[in-house]
Amino acid sequence: MPAGTAVRHAAPSGRAPEAAPARPPDRRGPGLITFARGRWLRTIPGRIRAFVVVILIAIVALLAVLAAAIGNARDSVQTIGHDAGPQVVATGTLFSALSDMDAQVASVLLIGREHDLGIGHDGALGVYERRRSEAGAAAVQAAQLAGRDPHLRQRVQAVIDGLGRYERLVGEAMVLDRQSAHAAGEPPKQVVDTYRRATDLMRLELLPQAYNLTLDSGAAVRQTYETKRTAVLTGRAWVALTGVLVLLLLLAAQVYLARGFRRLVNPALALATVAALALVGAGFAELSAQAGHIKKAKMYGFDSVLALSRARAISNSAFADESRYLLDPGKADTYEQTYLDKSLAVIYPDLGDKPVNLESYYAGLEQQAGSYRPGKGDAPFLGFFGDEASTVRPGREADALGRTLQAYRAVQRNDQRIRQLAGSGDRTGAIKLRMDRDRTIRDFNAYDAALRSLTALHQGAFDSAIEAGDGGLRAWRVLPPAAALVIAALTVAGVRPRLAEFR
Amino acid sequence: MRVTRSAAAAAAGTLIALTGTAACGLGGGGETSVADQRSLRIGVKQDQPGLGLRGPDGAYRGFDVDVATYVAGRLGVPPSRITFMTTPSSIREKALADGTVDMIFASYSITAKRKTQVTFGGPYYVPHQDTMVRAADASIGAVRDLKGKRICEVTGSNSWRRVIEERKVAAEPVRAETYGQCMDLLSAGRLDAVSTDDLILAGFATSATKIINAPFTDEKYGVGLRKNDLKGCEAVNRALTEMYQDGKARQLLAKWFGKSGLKLTTSVPQFEGCSYTPPAKAVHD
Repeated sequence: MPAGTAVRHAAPSGRAPEAAPARPPDRRGPGLITFARGRWLRTIPGRIRAFVVVILIAIVALLAVLAAAIGNARDSVQTIGHDAGPQVVATGTLFSALSDMDAQVASVLLIGREHDLGIGHDGALGVYERRRSEAGAAAVQAAQLAGRDPHLRQRVQAVIDGLGRYERLVGEAMVLDRQSAHAAGEPPKQVVDTYRRATDLMRLELLPQAYNLTLDSGAAVRQTYETKRTAVLTGRAWVALTGVLVLLLLLAAQVYLARGFRRLVNPALALATVAALALVGAGFAELSAQAGHIKKAKMYGFDSVLALSRARAISNSAFADESRYLLDPGKADTYEQTYLDKSLAVIYPDLGDKPVNLESYYAGLEQQAGSYRPGKGDAPFLGFFGDEASTVRPGREADALGRTLQAYRAVQRNDQRIRQLAGSGDRTGAIKLRMDRDRTIRDFNAYDAALRSLTALHQGAFDSAIEAGDGGLRAWRVLPPAAALVIAALTVAGVRPRLAEFR
Repeated sequence: MRVTRSAAAAAAGTLIALTGTAACGLGGGGETSVADQRSLRIGVKQDQPGLGLRGPDGAYRGFDVDVATYVAGRLGVPPSRITFMTTPSSIREKALADGTVDMIFASYSITAKRKTQVTFGGPYYVPHQDTMVRAADASIGAVRDLKGKRICEVTGSNSWRRVIEERKVAAEPVRAETYGQCMDLLSAGRLDAVSTDDLILAGFATSATKIINAPFTDEKYGVGLRKNDLKGCEAVNRALTEMYQDGKARQLLAKWFGKSGLKLTTSVPQFEGCSYTPPAKAVHD
């Protein structure tokens, strides 16, 4: 019944206005009865009209299927490219800035009255201020990107609120530190206690919140990718199916008219067929291209940007744990364990039967990251860089990964030396080395820079895939309805002269 | 022309059906995940007071059990459709891999090694490893003092490794099946110390024992999930975020550990993240 209704309503509107007088108003009553009995199909004009209606419905179906598939592609590009992608960058920056703020505070308190040690008291304070404003800007951006999601905004706001409390505690610790004017590496208990409150707030509340925001964006992308990209591919199959149906119907109409009216080719119908073929072909190609862009954006761009942002965040906080290990001997064991844990998250070498401790880690890292050639075969290690090694492409990406691994090994060698010094009782030596601008700080900055340039390569791949996706989709806003209209008009125009023969 | 007519009618019918499908959205599917299950089998401990303890009535009680119930609720599974089961430390990975349980909430610490076999949601809490000794024992004040002492090695637990392998403290491990057994050995004088998570120790505290209050690790209690159930992992993390946002976490921590004197953290822990793990190489045990 719904089918009959649709055909009945569609029939008059599908007809050109000139065709209307073919059924004068005074014959409307009997006409309806004829319609209901299906007798109208026995007349040639009736059959032609029915055929046209079927073709028009098929065109509408094609349009609907195409619009749905393009809509899914648009959703994917929006979520991956314009919401989650930038959110990972914003929250990643937020995390790094927060983590480094706390590391700088640890440095200031370690330095004490020996203001010229390492990057110096003023130098560390300067970096702290810069990081503070970076964190503020990143938080504002994250809040903007959270947009209409009230839960997400609330969680970003929680970080901003916590930052205020953190700064108060840091201010307090700094005042106590200045008043005590202690020697390097020997802050009095009250300074350490105040710092503990500040760093616990940072480590246990703010950093986890910022990190979880980054993870959320990763989850959003994975879900969108799984559902929407599949939907784009399914949509593409539907476009092919309905497209073939439209083409077959148009060809059937051509054959029917040629036989029934002894004509060779109906030019308007032929044009409609060509236009339909072009629309279906182009639609199919565009959806394939979109699926490709989405895949590229995720596999070579987003996944790596996310993994590397996490690696950078974790490395930053491990580096801060290294100085907390020196600053707070009471919790040195905990900071050493969290350092190992974080290092294992970045690179997890295959330790075989050896115990999981820093000693095995240094050795495993040297051996496995040292012998690994990026872009050539599987990496022997897991962790963020293990993931990166499995997707990295030969050329610039592989080179950048190679440089990052080398810089990471230098950072770990310094760490090993610092712990050796501290373990043998030479705390001053350990602190001097930790603060050494020409070694430990330089090496860590070099590692951070290498990591950032590797991330930038993937960010570039991501941006160009998203740009390609956007560019393709822009045209497809108006193209399908316009093309459908043309095909419909050509079909009607092709049939009208034949109907006119029955007047 | 009769053929054409019936073909046209059939085509029209098909098209309307097709349009209907398109309107419903062209959705994709996925594998089975804890996020899609109607009922859940959850692995917990049966002998850890405060975390997971099986009463004489057969019911499980504790912080782990309550968190599991909350998370299952957020996943759409009411308590009536949860089956709790005992998963001792030694069989946790296997129970997940062979599908005996869907999730594990059993003081299950996330470690790099375990992550090669299990996907972890959470952590839902970060306890710290501490040490329990007999109340009269004044010789142990920190983890280094365990050198030459007999400590408990529970099969499948990571705690003894933290002392002997990570800290390289030459303590002498004595094997036991469960932490309950460790406590018996401790009071019987066949052990000098039990070093493990403070939440576990708090549950066993008696007047004959004391916790030395020298925490030396950050543990991460994770939700064990079948390897690469990323959808489930994300859903669990959302649930845990809500648990901390709506104050339920604070309430549960106070309920189970409020009187222990432990310093409790009531803000959401840093999650491990749900990433795909390639098939484990045989070398990781």
